[in-house]
Order: sequence, then C-alpha cells, then structure tokens
Amino acid sequence: MRALQGLRGPRAPSLPLLLLCFLAALRRSLEHGLSTAAPFKSLPVQEEMMTKYSNLSLESHNISVTAAPFTSLPVQEEMMTKSSNLSLESHSISMTAAPFTSLPVQEEMMTKSSNLSLESHSISMTAMPIKENNKGNQICVDRGIMLQRNVTLVEHSNMPVEKNITLERPSNVELICQFTPSGDLNSVNVTWKKGDKLLEGNYLVNATGGILYTQHRVAVINSKQMGSYSCFFGEKKQQRGTFNLKVPEINGQNKPLITYLGDSVVLMCKCQDCLPLNWTWYGGNGSVQVPIGVPVNDKYVISGKHANETRLKITQLSEDDQGTYLCHAIFELGESEGHVKLVVLSYLVPLKVFCAIAAEVVLLVAAILLFEMYTQKKKKPSDDGKEFEQGEQLKLDDSNGIENSGPRHRKNESVGQ
Amino acid sequence: MPPPGGTPPPHPPPDGGWGWVVVGAAFISIGFSYAFPKAVTVFFKEIQLLFNTTYSEIAWISSTMLAVMYAGGPISSVLVNKYGSRPVVMVGGLLCCLGMVSASYSTNVVELYFTMGLICGLGLAFNLQPALTIIGKYFYKKRPVANGLAMAGSPVFLSTLAPFNQYLFNTYGWKGSFMILGGLLLNCCVAGSLMRPVEPKASTESKNKVGVRETDCSMKKRQKKLSVWEEINKYLDFSLFKHRGFLIYLSGNVIMFLGFFAPVIFLAPYAKDKGIDEYSAAFLLSVMAFVDMFARPTVGLIANSKLIRPRIQYFFSFAVMFTGICHLLCALAEDYTSLVVYAVFFGLGFGSVSSVLFETLMDLVGAQRFSSAVGLVTVVECCPVLLGPPLAGKLVDETGQYKYMYLACGAIVVLASVWLLIGNAANYRLLAREKKKSIHTKESQETEPLKTSQSPSVNIKSGKNEEWKGAEVNSSERETNI
Repeated sequence: MRALQGLRGPRAPSLPLLLLCFLAALRRSLEHGLSTAAPFKSLPVQEEMMTKYSNLSLESHNISVTAAPFTSLPVQEEMMTKSSNLSLESHSISMTAAPFTSLPVQEEMMTKSSNLSLESHSISMTAMPIKENNKGNQICVDRGIMLQRNVTLVEHSNMPVEKNITLERPSNVELICQFTPSGDLNSVNVTWKKGDKLLEGNYLVNATGGILYTQHRVAVINSKQMGSYSCFFGEKKQQRGTFNLKVPEINGQNKPLITYLGDSVVLMCKCQDCLPLNWTWYGGNGSVQVPIGVPVNDKYVISGKHANETRLKITQLSEDDQGTYLCHAIFELGESEGHVKLVVLSYLVPLKVFCAIAAEVVLLVAAILLFEMYTQKKKKPSDDGKEFEQGEQLKLDDSNGIENSGPRHRKNESVGQ
Repeated sequence: MPPPGGTPPPHPPPDGGWGWVVVGAAFISIGFSYAFPKAVTVFFKEIQLLFNTTYSEIAWISSTMLAVMYAGGPISSVLVNKYGSRPVVMVGGLLCCLGMVSASYSTNVVELYFTMGLICGLGLAFNLQPALTIIGKYFYKKRPVANGLAMAGSPVFLSTLAPFNQYLFNTYGWKGSFMILGGLLLNCCVAGSLMRPVEPKASTESKNKVGVRETDCSMKKRQKKLSVWEEINKYLDFSLFKHRGFLIYLSGNVIMFLGFFAPVIFLAPYAKDKGIDEYSAAFLLSVMAFVDMFARPTVGLIANSKLIRPRIQYFFSFAVMFTGICHLLCALAEDYTSLVVYAVFFGLGFGSVSSVLFETLMDLVGAQRFSSAVGLVTVVECCPVLLGPPLAGKLVDETGQYKYMYLACGAIVVLASVWLLIGNAANYRLLAREKKKSIHTKESQETEPLKTSQSPSVNIKSGKNEEWKGAEVNSSERETNI
C-alpha cells in the first residue's frame, strides 16, 4: 500500500474518497449484481439519517492512487464518511489519472443505505471523466470543464483575499489556497468553511517548499452548493481566503430611461456569455412585484433576439408605468436579476426648453437687425447730407464765373450750415 | 473669364471691423455643419433598440445627413449667388429646426432618414456654403486667418456637443433631446442675421451716379451677348470646369478624401483592438480634437504670412503629405503612448489641412466665383467622403487588421499630396508665363488710342487668377505705363 504522497495527517482520509469513486464506477454492476441493495430513493441529505442506515465496517483495504487531481467532493460526502464504517475486506483499487467528477447526491444515498460487503474484487479505474448516464442514474457527472481557482495568502497581511467564481451550470470546482507561513509549516491549522459552517474532512493539505497548499473540491449541482467558501490558516491570527460561487450577473440599465406619455419603450436586460433557462419580468411600484406578461396583452411584449438577452416592449406609456422593472434570469444553479428604471415625463418639459431657446433666438435676431437698421439710418442722413453738399458745390462751381463773390459767400455759408 | 454678367464690380473687402463679427457667425455655422452629424451618434443606441433595427441601419442617418450636406452645395450656391448669404443661412437654420423637431415625432427609421437626413442635412448645407462664401467677401489680406478661425468651429463644437448631447439624453431621453437640439439649431438664424451683405448701399449709389453713363453702355452691350449657357452660369458657374486650377484642386481633393476620414472613425476601435480600454480610446479622440482646435487658427496665421501666402498651394500640399505620413507611421504604433503621439500629430495635420482647405480654393478661383466653386466641389466630394469609411471598414474585415487600412489610407493621402504638388507647381508656372504674356500684349496695346474708359476690371485674356492680384497688376501696369 502506498500512501498518497505528501499527505499529511488523517484529516483527509483517502479511503472514503476512493471508495466513493469506486462505488460510483461500480454502481451499475452493483445494481445488476446485488439484489440485496436497497431500492434507491432520494434520501434527505442529512447526517443523522446516514448514521441510521449505514453499518458498514472498514477493515483492510489496499488502495493505490497515482496522480489524481481530485475534484471536490460534495458536502454530503463528508457526512457519509463521518458516519460510515465501511468494510472493505480485500480489494485493490488503482486509479490512474482520474480527474474525478462530482458525485451526485443519490450516490451517497446508495452508499448510505446499502449494506455492502466487498470481499474480493479488483477494480482498476483509469478512466478520465466518466460520462453521464443518460438513463438518469447519474454516476459521476461530467459537466464541462473542471474549474480550478487559486488564492494566495501571505501571512500577517490584513487584506481580505477574495475571488468571485461565476457558475452557470452544474460543474466541479476545485478551490486551492496557498499559504506561506513565517514559522513552522506543521503548526498551522487549516480549516475550510462554507459561510459560517465548518466543513470537515475531504480537503487535501499539502506542504512543499515552505508553502502550504490546501484543496477543496465542490461538486456544484444546484443552488445549495453555491455560496462562499473560505479557507482558514492558523488558530489565533487567522488568514482567510474566500471564494464566492455565484450565478452570472445580469446587466440592466444603470441610468434611468426617460420616456414620454403615450410613447413606447424597449427595456433590455443582458448578460455576457450566459444562457439562462428562462427569463421573467416583474414590474414594481414600491415593494410589490407583479409579474408582467402573465395575462398576455398588447401593452407588454417580451422578446429576445439571443438567448443571453431579453427585451420588454411597453406601449402606450402612462404615469403609472413609472418605476423599476426587474428582469429575472433562471439558471440551474440559481436566479439572478437586473433592474431597469423607467421615468415617464410629459411633453411639456422639453417643449418649455424649446420655447425658451426659440424666444431667445427671436430676440437676438430682432436686436441684431434693429441695430443694423439703426446704424444704417445714421449713415444715410449723413451721406445724403454729404451728397447734397457735393451737389451744391458742383452747382456753385458751375456758377463760379457768373456771380460775384459777395452773395456767393453768403450762399456758401447758408449752404454750409 | 469675365465675372458673371450683370453683377456690379467687386468692392475692396473691408478686411476687418464688422468682418470679425462675421467670422464669429461663420464659426457658429461651420461648427454646427461639421459637428452635428457626428455628435448625434450618442442617441443611436436607444433608437436602434426602440425601432428594432441593426446598428448599420441607424448609422446611415449620420451618413445621409453628411451626404445631403455635401450634395446640397450647388443648391445653396445658386441661392447665395442670387440672394446673398444672409437669407440662405437663416432659411438653413429654420430647416434644421424643422427637421429635428419632426424627427422627434418619428416612429420608424425611414422617417428618421427623411427628417434628420434630408431636411436637416439640407439646412446644414444652407449653413456651410454661405458661411464660407461670406468670409471671402469680407476679407482679402487677412483671409487665411479668418478662414482658420472660422474652421476652428468644427472641433470646438464637436467637443462641446458630444458631452452636451449625452447630458440631454440623460435628462430628456432621445425625443426631448431632438426637440431641444432643433431649438439650438435655430441659433444658426442668429448667425445668419450677423452676416451683413458687404456692399454698403450709399457708396454704390454715389459711385453709380458718377460712372452710370459709362457703365450703362457697356452693360447694355453685355446683356445682348448673354446666351442660355451664360444664363445658367449666372446662377452656378459651370465654366469653372474649364478652370485649370479648379480642376487640379478638385481631383486632388477627391483622391484625398477617400483616405481622409476613415482613420478618425477607426481610431477608437483600433485602440480597443490593441487592448486599450474604452475610456483611454475615447481620450485619444479628445486629444486629437483639442490639438485640432488650436492648430486651425495657428495654421491660418502661418498661411497668412508673407512667406507662405503666395505659395499657399504648396503649403496645402505639404500639409496633406504630413497627414498621409502620419497615417503611414501609425501602422507602426504598438502601445498607448505611440497612439497618443499619433493622435497629436494627426490633429495637427487634420487641422492644418482643414484650415487652408477652402482658403486655397478661394485663392485659385477668386472670391467672386467662390460660391459656385464651393458648391461644385462639395457635390463632387460627396462620393469619396461617403465611400471612404465603408471601404476602409471592408478592408479591415478582409485583412483582419487595422494596420493595413492605415497604410492604405496613408498611401492614398500621400498620392493626393504629390498630385497636388505637381499640379500646382505646373499651374504656378503657367500662370507666371501667362502674366508675362499679358504684360507684353498690354504694352503693345498701349500704343493704340484708348477707346472706352477704363472699367476697373480689365479683362486679362489668359489670366486665370482673378484675384485682387489682377487689380494690383493693373494698377502697377498703369503706373509703369504712364
């Protein structure tokens, strides 16, 4: 028997892990083979129930595990391992490079309630992700890529380290925390918590080169596995890294949409790279959320060109239509919502501004034209006067030789004035 | 070529005084004309959502507005030739207002094409051409400065209208904003009212009294000679197509505009493609507009200097070449800093070209024929201005990289500059030769007795440059001959 390299302490016994996967792989054969297996029903995932049913005893086992990037085990798994006392008498399981997928809830129920005695058998699992059984009996569910998220913690830093993970469909998530302690590696206490609840067992702790690694695998199947998972290092000064598992966020519209009475408007909600199962719209005046479009009428039309967006067209707007509209996106792993704010104004509002500007323009134009006429009038009388003088000068010049100077001077004077 | 028959002889431009107020009015008109089609794109996203169309269908509104603005050039030229700048600009302002207010009531995209694109575009056309024309009437000695200042309206209005439109959209939605923008466009009427016609009536009357007898006979003679072709030319001077300088300018500009606007439009997407975030990419455009704002009056001043003014066509060609080289070098830009440097230099190039764009046309054809010239130029330029960006977009789609588009645009612009340089060098030389010829012919004519009195505009047969240079040459000739 070759223990898992680098395993430290009995905290994460490999036995239940391997057993589970082995059982998972064998489930089919067990179903056919063992008639004593109790009919699988969905059992509530609770520890107490488990302890009631299982009475398996673990005796000797021979397990070798090589290069197994484990996926996270469901929470329920630990419950089972806690209380189960499986008896594995002689068997050899070899698992080579098996990125395990998450085990469904039902699986553990099976293990819980069955009274298995595994006597002699040899199982080798080399398979990579085991495919989903289409008959509905889920063994190991492989739903796409296994996600791996790392968080690095430095001792004595007070900055909260947090990572947000967006999940849309059930998948397996592996959460890894790295911690570089200043003192002794072995003295650091490692714990995982979901929310405030302590998670026990089934997380690997590894120490290489002065850095402490801890892994925790979560098989996310429904909304109950979503939430925030934290790894803690140390007893007194706890360093903490948090992973927030969330559904994709929906983008509504940040700024309120301005519309007018009697108009129509289109509200749109969108999310990046997501495919919700369903969209619904709710309109709310205050705290009451009323679903829209339930009695189908002309006023509201819900449509959407692509799966990642939804549009709500509202016609014949009135003042009552003001307020915040919520678009709900339903995913397998939960719900998400975005909001759009609608404001309905009367046409008089911009009309007043328009009239003000038009009045200002009329005033300015009138002022400019009046000023121009005024300056031209000023010029004209003086010009006419000048021309009159010129004309008179010509006349006088013509009659220069005829008259004598006396009367001419007088005339000049009278003309000049 | 004689000026269109029937118009009184041109008066010396005031070159100051009320002219600066007119420059301010032209600033407003030109600013609205160039900036408005670009600034309304802020509203397109919501309109696209409401009318349930694709973005390209909505973007055509902007293109239609620009196209009608350019294509409406000849119409506004005809009207300016007949009625003068002021009434045309005021009608333009009213049309724009009507277009925008009716656009706020539209219910589908086609209505928007009609109201915003056609009516508003026509109104903007009625603003642009008269504004440019009246600068030529008010200025001669300081005309490049006046042109530079008036053309600076475009970047100033663009950088003001864009955030202002965003504010309007946030406060009033697109419908209310269109109505308010219609009101704002009424201010073009204010600009129009400032554009006083240049001929002060009192002086013309007095002059006419003196010279009425002489001009009467000559005018009667001229009226007998008017044919159908000349009637049309009275409204829109098609004889410009025989004008050598005009043809060089037109052909050079057509080539240039193919590659001129696309780099501006694709600057932000190019930056985003290089991994730069949205706000920094938008900042590049602001940098360009800012540099452009200050480049235009400055280049106008430079173009007015004694050194440059006689060779302004060369200056224009060099400015175009500078812009083309900027585009070519942009293809080498890798990071944000180099893109900012490119934006600065491009702003300089863009500003200098725009500043002397119409000044060079005035220099070639003269203030009298400028209004027809600008109408004809804009209607022909309509095609490359509209075709340029979509073709560039197609190039980007085909090659998958913006680099090649910049290289292509740069090459086209450099080609245009080389053509303008060669063409104008030839034109200057031919003009000098023709001037020499006319001096010789004048000297030989001096020996014959003078028949009729001198009308101020002596017809130099081969003189294509109908500038005040012509009058100056006359006066200097007369002096030397005496």
